[in-house]
Amino acid sequence: MKNRSMKRVLRFGGAVAFLGFASTVSAIDGPQIIKENCLLCHSETGKAEAPFSRISQQRKTPEGWQMTINRMKSQRGLLLKPEDERVLIKYLADTQGLAPSETADFRYVLEREPNVVEQNVPEHLASTCMGCHSGARAGLQRRTTDEWQKLVHFHMGQVPSIEYLAGHRDRPWFQIALNETSTQLGEGYPLVTKAWDDWKAAPKAPLNGDWVMSGFMPDKGEFSATVSVMPNKKDEYTLLVNGYYANGTKLTGSGNAKVFAGYEWRGAVVIDGRKMRQVFAASEDGQSLSGRMFLKNDDVIGGEVFAKKAGKSPVIVSVSPTYIKQGTTQTLKITGSNLSEKISLGKGISVEGVVSKTADHMLVKVKADAKAMVGDRTLAVGASSLDAALAVYDSVARVDITPGESIARIGGNGGPIPKQKSIYRAIGYAAGADGKPGTEDDLKLGYMPATWSLKPFDAVAEEEHDLKYAGKINAQGIFTPGDAGLNPERKMSTNNVGNLAVVGTVTEGGAAVSGEAHLLVTVQDFVKELIQ
Amino acid sequence: MKFKQMVNPAKGLGAVMTGLVLMGTGLSVQAATDEYLLTVTRPNQLHVIDTKTDKLLRSCDVPGTFGNGGIASSPDGKVAYVMTNKWEDVYGFNISDCKIVFSMKQSTPMEQVKSIISMTVSADGKELYTVQNPVKLHKDHFEAIQPRLAVYKTDDGLNAQPVRTYPVDRRITKLGFIEKTSEVILGGGDIKAIDTTNGKVRTLAKLQNWDRSPEGWVPPDAFAMHTMGEHIGEYIMPYFTIKWNGEPGDMEKAEFLWGMTKVDTKTGDVTTGEVLPFEFIVFNWVTDPNDEDIVYGSFNQLSKHNIKEGKTLAVHPMPHTYYNINMLEDGSKIYVGGTSSDISIHDPKTLKKIGSIKLAGDMSTSDLRIAKVQR
Ligand code: HEC
Ligand code: HEC
Repeated sequence: MKNRSMKRVLRFGGAVAFLGFASTVSAIDGPQIIKENCLLCHSETGKAEAPFSRISQQRKTPEGWQMTINRMKSQRGLLLKPEDERVLIKYLADTQGLAPSETADFRYVLEREPNVVEQNVPEHLASTCMGCHSGARAGLQRRTTDEWQKLVHFHMGQVPSIEYLAGHRDRPWFQIALNETSTQLGEGYPLVTKAWDDWKAAPKAPLNGDWVMSGFMPDKGEFSATVSVMPNKKDEYTLLVNGYYANGTKLTGSGNAKVFAGYEWRGAVVIDGRKMRQVFAASEDGQSLSGRMFLKNDDVIGGEVFAKKAGKSPVIVSVSPTYIKQGTTQTLKITGSNLSEKISLGKGISVEGVVSKTADHMLVKVKADAKAMVGDRTLAVGASSLDAALAVYDSVARVDITPGESIARIGGNGGPIPKQKSIYRAIGYAAGADGKPGTEDDLKLGYMPATWSLKPFDAVAEEEHDLKYAGKINAQGIFTPGDAGLNPERKMSTNNVGNLAVVGTVTEGGAAVSGEAHLLVTVQDFVKELIQ
Repeated sequence: MKFKQMVNPAKGLGAVMTGLVLMGTGLSVQAATDEYLLTVTRPNQLHVIDTKTDKLLRSCDVPGTFGNGGIASSPDGKVAYVMTNKWEDVYGFNISDCKIVFSMKQSTPMEQVKSIISMTVSADGKELYTVQNPVKLHKDHFEAIQPRLAVYKTDDGLNAQPVRTYPVDRRITKLGFIEKTSEVILGGGDIKAIDTTNGKVRTLAKLQNWDRSPEGWVPPDAFAMHTMGEHIGEYIMPYFTIKWNGEPGDMEKAEFLWGMTKVDTKTGDVTTGEVLPFEFIVFNWVTDPNDEDIVYGSFNQLSKHNIKEGKTLAVHPMPHTYYNINMLEDGSKIYVGGTSSDISIHDPKTLKKIGSIKLAGDMSTSDLRIAKVQR
């Protein structure tokens, strides 16, 4: 038997319906939309604090509300005008949303980050609720215990085979989910929380103004940009993006963004002709944005983004690379605004001069003394500073490949579902004081350029020539899986699936250090969901 | 995982035998019986195949969307009951002319009712049983309620309604009927039997609630997606378990085992216990009519095993996955089907392929059953 089981890795990807950006205006407000459209099936409770049955007893993210409304339309027979739908989702996400602290552990699922091995999920959820979707889907909702129980009943009707699935059928799944899991969910994720009450009451900072952004796109590399955010209507903005990729080429784009619950930023931009989505969270003070930006039509292709609001005083957003080897000279890209030329990186690092400067970044030549102490350095630019901005190291002792566990999916070949790629980056470490790599005191250096290759994961994969069929990796660490469909060349005419190891190699001064990640190339995912 | 170095599973067998004799003897073939092979393909057709010629005799259109393709035959072999419409409706066909002689719909606008393969017919052919899993469809919420055995009279014709219902456990899949006691076998977490006249339930074999310590054993994963065994009158519920010979979780020392609960559908005699080391996935099993110790299994391979000795005797690789398997009453042929659109015919002695039947559509999860008609 070919054992293709693996740690649970979330499989995100594909085209997504996105929270609407169109601008037709609805004539009526949220409660009125509910009254006019939902009361055929839902009812008025007569209670001011929770006026509508089912609808008022839960809180969720904008995507969570979108999923529910999608189901009401596709499966329950709800008819709703698109302009009313947009107003309703905004209303529900604003008035029955989640506080920033309530979403903090589960951003990955909103950001559609691929290949996350979920770690923040309570044990009772892991064993009962993660057979079909992420644990984050539940973690991103707040309900009364009664509503968590109604959700279990809903699952029984929606997926009648649920209690028969492997991993469920060896115990009384329904009784456990109804009596134990729901109770724990009601305690862990209750409808009423101080976090939400406080956040709802807190004044929200407007997000318009100039921002400095730094980010990464797998196929283009790191970039820096200034983003001008202009207010449109309440919580809606127009954006202009201007910046540079790491190799100096320019980046330009524009688009718009909508903000839900005072901090959930959802942007739709076109950058250099490519449609992209932004899923960011604004910090509670409204001074930074962090999240992920990805291609609209291929959300695996995306990366982390971080931005800070530009002001009169200098702002540092990021430094790249984040490491320098003892005894070498290097050009650093400091992304930020109003950057002064008074730069310091502490003992053992001398600043040789500013190479160039734009509105969003500065290139600086720095030299590390041969005897500079190994460790993190704080970067100071004028009066502002960034902790642990640069790591001084002796040699690269270990390379980790991220993500460590991953899935790609065959596709294309004339079929309806495109290939789902997977992307890799190499993170370097120095050995630290004990001289041994793989121990606690290893010094993280950050993302390093690497060369990429594949090998069979195990003997079975080797015997079945997975390497030949399952796909290819390019110089940027982007893996493209094989074609969909049965392959008559293969044993049992199987698909082009495979079990591979992705090898990333960092070469430095003639020495090569490699790291490996596990990649399971599997079949298509036929259902794409807003919250996986 | 490592599946080598397994201890003889026959050792474990003795300890957990709850039944009396090993069941099923190879009945001698009655010359007056014709055997027909029944299966369903997508989009939704019942096929009747003559096992003498291995030729398709006729195909009957089944109303509704394909469900699981479940089939139960009347004891006289003349009517085939097919589960359709996403596990909800049953139609009975005269297999000689495709005429629909029975129908029932389990769901109503107020209640969604699914049967997860659970369907069987009484030994006298007068009653049809399903296990219903109802979910009440309230206006703004659903409510899953207790499953029940539903009893239908087969001569109620079209749009039959249940004549009796009795509460049963959740998670029931494969049903069978015990002739001697008029009980329906309920294959769920444990194997139970329900008296079809009064709803009284007794346990035939404990699986999930067995009396073994979790330090020594992993509770069994018992599961069946198909019904068969009519060639000799047996009900098999296979299960998978792990025996910890070291610490629980120590895979190196663990044994991975197939177990089986078997019920003789004539007498109700039960045997249960581990029978074979787990070497590869087998989806369905049938017993050789001429040797109760020999079983055959299907999936990515057709395999032959001696369950008394806990040995795999032969493995025949297959060109694709076949979920299902059945045999003729005299043990002369094995039919391997399901999944795709071809039924592969094999010689039980050598497992060599001796024929094939090509169908118009995929069998998917459909049953592959034998209808025995007296001439
Ligand atoms: C035609 C009937 C119908 C209409 C109209 C309808 N719903 Fe529902 N709603 C249901 C049913 C049935 C359920 C329970 C099953 C489910 O969750 O899909 C439900 C469940 C819900 C839930 C609970 C979902 C959960 O995850 O627990 C919410 C929230 C909801 N509806 C919101 C709405 C809103 C808002 C509208 C109007 C814009 C609406 N519904 C209109 C029938 C309807
Ligand atoms: C058999 C697969 C399966 C399992 C197991 C499962 N779910 Fe779901 N879940 C679904 C499906 C299907 C939906 C409906 C998605 C849609 O609306 O399109 C869903 C929806 C949800 C939603 C969103 C509902 C809404 O409208 O807001 C939540 C929250 C959720 N599940 C939590 C859970 C919890 C908690 C458990 C464990 C008790 C669980 N799920 C187990 C399949 C599953």
